[in-house]
Amino acid sequence: MWQYPWRYKESIAIIGGIILVGFLLQVTVGQFPFSLLHFPVNIIIGGCIIGCLLLFSTQRKSSFYRWFSGVPFSVTLIGAVLILGVIMGLTPNQQITTSWSFVLVYTLLLLSLGSLIIRRLIAFRFQDYAFYLNHIGLWLLLFSAGLGAADIKRYVMHIREGEVEWRVYSENKDVLELPIAIQLNDFQMEEYPPKLVVINRTTGATQPENKPAYLHLDGTAPTNHIRFSKWNIQLEDYIHEAIRNSDSTYHEVRMPGASPAARIKVTNIENKEENEGWVCVGNISQLYMTFNLDSTYCVVMTQPEPRRFVSDVNVFTEDGKETHALLEVNKPHKIGNWMLYQFGYDNDAGKLSTYSSIELVYDPWLIPAYCGIILLAFGSVCMLWIGNRKKRRTK
Amino acid sequence: MTWNDFLWFAIPAIACWFSAGIAIYLRSKSTLADILMVAGIVIFASFIIGLWFGQQRPPLRTMGETRLWYSFFLSSVGFITYKHWKYKWLLSFSALIASVFVFVNIFNPEIHSTNLMPALQSYWFIPHVTVYILSYAMFAAATIASFIQLNKINKSNADTQLYRLMDNLVYVGFGFLMLGMLMGCVWAKEAWGHYWSWDPKETWALVTAAAYLIYIHMRLRKLHPKFTLWMLPIAFVLLMITWIGVNYLPSAQNSVHTY
Repeated sequence: MWQYPWRYKESIAIIGGIILVGFLLQVTVGQFPFSLLHFPVNIIIGGCIIGCLLLFSTQRKSSFYRWFSGVPFSVTLIGAVLILGVIMGLTPNQQITTSWSFVLVYTLLLLSLGSLIIRRLIAFRFQDYAFYLNHIGLWLLLFSAGLGAADIKRYVMHIREGEVEWRVYSENKDVLELPIAIQLNDFQMEEYPPKLVVINRTTGATQPENKPAYLHLDGTAPTNHIRFSKWNIQLEDYIHEAIRNSDSTYHEVRMPGASPAARIKVTNIENKEENEGWVCVGNISQLYMTFNLDSTYCVVMTQPEPRRFVSDVNVFTEDGKETHALLEVNKPHKIGNWMLYQFGYDNDAGKLSTYSSIELVYDPWLIPAYCGIILLAFGSVCMLWIGNRKKRRTK
Repeated sequence: MTWNDFLWFAIPAIACWFSAGIAIYLRSKSTLADILMVAGIVIFASFIIGLWFGQQRPPLRTMGETRLWYSFFLSSVGFITYKHWKYKWLLSFSALIASVFVFVNIFNPEIHSTNLMPALQSYWFIPHVTVYILSYAMFAAATIASFIQLNKINKSNADTQLYRLMDNLVYVGFGFLMLGMLMGCVWAKEAWGHYWSWDPKETWALVTAAAYLIYIHMRLRKLHPKFTLWMLPIAFVLLMITWIGVNYLPSAQNSVHTY
């Protein structure tokens, strides 16, 4: 051991030692002070990392450099990431990413990968394009994700319909004022048609227990009836946006307070007795309605699930610009380094929610991270197309 | 065209795919299998297009519609990958899995209406899942090959041909795996605000990728061949944890990936 060329034993000893140092730091000084990594500290550290790599590259013929940028060391580093990852994946509280051991391994990975890239860039060969795409892409992604982590800001803003808001809540529930103001013009929600199901009137358990039979109301179900015990429940009519009449029937009205309602015909199979009635899920502005089968069971409508919810907003920035946007899940809106997301609404009120919650995410390091992702994506396509056919450089 | 016409396309497509999967082993020339496979894909694609026009919207909304795309992409990407790499099992496998999704749609018609929650309504959903299924197929094959190779090493010498096959499988599988992860990153940025949130599923995906990276890098040198080979079964176990096991871990109770 400790005779050049170093291989796995030396690599495991050194990385094991570094993880141990990280652990001792953890015990003595506590968590890695991630908040110190804010701009401009992260820029300075990033500059130092690149400077070290360039300075170190003058020694690239040395045995140490070859080991530091070589296969055994990188495999051991990846192994360390794997082990830390397994610990992270098994423990519910995710403190590992801010632990000293993780930060030290991450930094070593940046340095080792960086020195390998520099060595191979100096001895540039065009046929190694897949290598360059994958390794430079990964380095760029790790560099910007790691150093940019402390610059990311995530806030939630709750805006009432028709009002303008600029105060946000941070993750620690502190109230802050932002240079961005948002006006909520309208919050709208579309719902999927719900289902009908029989429940036990006292326990609320769906029937048959363990395997509830649902009657889908969205028109795609093959039959429009379900059988439960001695009853046949037949769907006669369905109104997606219904308002109750004074005689407990329903008619269609397209307005926010409307709720799905269904007219059903229940036939008692034993005595052929037929009954008709309405079932309605209700909401905060109108009562629900159930259909009693007997003293134990009744037919109810399930809560409709949201299909999409949209916030119609105007966004004002400090420089006096005003932009209009429709925010929806999976459809954020970008303003400078800020991204605006549809985050939530009043869950109890559902589509009658009078406010919408918007998440604001600030990430100034997004562009280099995406460059890394794009390079990696091209590298991956190369891998799956070329495989391992290529002849390796022999040393 | 509506779902009522599904059987008229589904049955011929499955018939084509099944015959292609069998024909590939019966004849030395693959022309017949190629024609059958493509015919199946074209028949299936015409239903998707028909449904698109019939419903006047892209069929991407319900689970049943999502499964249509799985079948379509699995059969087409599987076929292209087979044409490129000439692994016969790949054609049969992708034909089989594509058919399974068709069968689910035939025998579970009420599932058509299973509602897709807003977070899943994204054009990333189908490619993200499809490339993962393909990478799992590659890695499963590589794992079997690693056991054969270990057995050969224990008895006599390593099989160079088998090594080449394994390495290619792992490279192709890893390419698909990385594409799945990267698409996941971009989608996560659109849906949840960040491209990497250390969600348990993400953490385990990283662990899995790390395990395959260890294999790929150790194969560059000749050191510790048995350890290197054992990395493939280990990585496959980690892959299964990522795919299925995560939902049962206590750490994943708040995961955004448990649907």
